[in-house]
Amino acid sequence: MDGGARTPQLALEVSDLHKSYGAHQVLKGISLQAENRDVVAILGSSGSGKSTFLRCINLLETPTKGAVRVDGELIKMTESRGEPAPADHKQVERIRSKLAMVFQQFNLWQHLTIRENVTIAQVKVLGRSEEEAIAKAEAMMEKVGVADKRNHYPSQLSGGQQQRVAIARALAMDPEVMLFDEPTSALDPELVNEVLKVMRSLAEEGRTMLVVTHETGFAREAANKLLFLHQGLVEESGDPREAMANPQSERFRQFLTGNLK
Amino acid sequence: MGKIIEILSQYGPDLLSGLFLTVQLVTLAAILGFLLAIPVALGRLSKNPLIFGLTSAYSMFFRGTPLLIQLFLVYYGLGQFEFIRDSILWPILREAYVCALITFVLNTAAYTGEVVRGGILAVPKGEIEAAKAHGMSSFTAYRYIILPRAFSICLPAYSNEVIILLKGTALASTITMMELMGVSQLAASRTFMPIQVFAIAGILYYLLTLTITRLFALLEARFTKYITHAR
Repeated sequence: MDGGARTPQLALEVSDLHKSYGAHQVLKGISLQAENRDVVAILGSSGSGKSTFLRCINLLETPTKGAVRVDGELIKMTESRGEPAPADHKQVERIRSKLAMVFQQFNLWQHLTIRENVTIAQVKVLGRSEEEAIAKAEAMMEKVGVADKRNHYPSQLSGGQQQRVAIARALAMDPEVMLFDEPTSALDPELVNEVLKVMRSLAEEGRTMLVVTHETGFAREAANKLLFLHQGLVEESGDPREAMANPQSERFRQFLTGNLK
Repeated sequence: MGKIIEILSQYGPDLLSGLFLTVQLVTLAAILGFLLAIPVALGRLSKNPLIFGLTSAYSMFFRGTPLLIQLFLVYYGLGQFEFIRDSILWPILREAYVCALITFVLNTAAYTGEVVRGGILAVPKGEIEAAKAHGMSSFTAYRYIILPRAFSICLPAYSNEVIILLKGTALASTITMMELMGVSQLAASRTFMPIQVFAIAGILYYLLTLTITRLFALLEARFTKYITHAR
C-alpha cells in the first residue's frame, strides 16, 4: 500500500471502482487508465453512473470499493464506523487540487468577482502570492475569453460565460487531470459551442481530460478514448471514432441512434 | 407640549445618558453575540453528538425561557454560588452592567445562532462542492466561501434579531440599570407625567430602530451586491 506499484506514466488510474447507496449499486466495478494528454469521453444514458464515477475519482463521493491513483499516487482509504472513508484528509485535499473539476451547474462562488473566483484557490490552497495568482488568473481568463468580465459577479454572466470562468478557475490550479461533469448540459443550445470550443482547444494543447458528456460530436472529434457506461459497468470502450462507427454492444448502438434522432 | 419641554429641560441629560447606555449595550451585545453565534451555529450543524448536544441544550435554554428570568438568574443567581463569590472575577460579575451584558450576549447568540445556521444551510451545495473539488480544507471552505456567503444570506433576518435585542435591553432596568427605560421610569415617577415621558422614550427607541435598519440597509448593499447586480 506504499505506492509500490507506481506507474508514473499514467496520469490517472482507476481500478475496479464500486459505489453503492445502501442496497442500490450504482457502479459495479469500473476501471480506467488515462495517460498524459489523453482525452477520455465518458458517455452513458442518465442513471448509468457516469457522473458518480467522475465524482468518486476526486472523492466528492466515497467509493465503496476500488482504487484511484493520481500521477501514480494511491488515494489511501480506511473504514470509519463500517463505512469506507478517506484515510488522510490532507492527501485528499492535495490530490483534489491536482484534479480540477468543472461542474454541470458551473458552481462559481457567487459572492466573489470573476477574478476572485479564479484566484482564491490558488492563494488559499496552493499558497501562491496574490500577484502570482492574479497574473495566472488574467492569463487563464484571457484564454477562455472572459478577461473583460474580471470585476463582474457570476450572476451578471451568461451560462456559457460562467462555464468558461469555471474552466479558467480549474485551469489556474495547473491540474494534472481535468474532470468535466456534463459541462454543457445546463446551457442553452446556442451557448454550448462557446464552451465546447474552449474544451477542444484544451484537448489540442495536450491537457489530460475526463469528460462526462452527452455531446457525441465532441467525443468523436476531441477525445482519443471512449468509455460507454451502462448500469454501472463499462459496456463499450476504445477509440471513439471506431467505436461510434462500429458499435459492438447493442446498448451503445441504441444510445447512439437515440442521440442522433 | 409645554409638559414635554419641561420634561426635556429637566431630564434631557438623563435621557441622553440612558440612550447612550442602551446604544452601548446593544452594540456590544450584538457584536459579541454574533461572534458567539458562529460557533453555536457550527455546533448545531456538527455531526459530533457531544458538540451538537451541548450547543443545542444551550440554544434551547436561552430561546426557551424568558429573557427576564435569564437576567434575574444571572444577576441574583451568580451570587448564590460561593465559588463565584470567592473568585477574583466577583468584583466584575456582581456589576449589574456585566450581568446584563452577559445575559444579552448569551440570549442573542442563541437566536442569532439559528439565523446563522439557516444561512449556512442556504449556501448552495454546489458551491461547497466546488470549494472541496479545488482542494480547500473544511476550514478554508468555511472561512472564505461558506461563512461569507451565509453572512450575506442571513443579513436581513439578522437585522430583525438586533431590533429585538434593542427592545430586550429595556429589561435591564429591572436590575438597576439606568439605560433608556430605567431613566424613563425614574423620570415618570418623579414628574407624575408617565404618558409624556414614555412617549418620549418610545420615540427614542423608534429612532434607534430606524438607525439599525439604516445600518443594515448599508451592510446589505455592501454584502449582497453580487445578488442585486443581476437584477
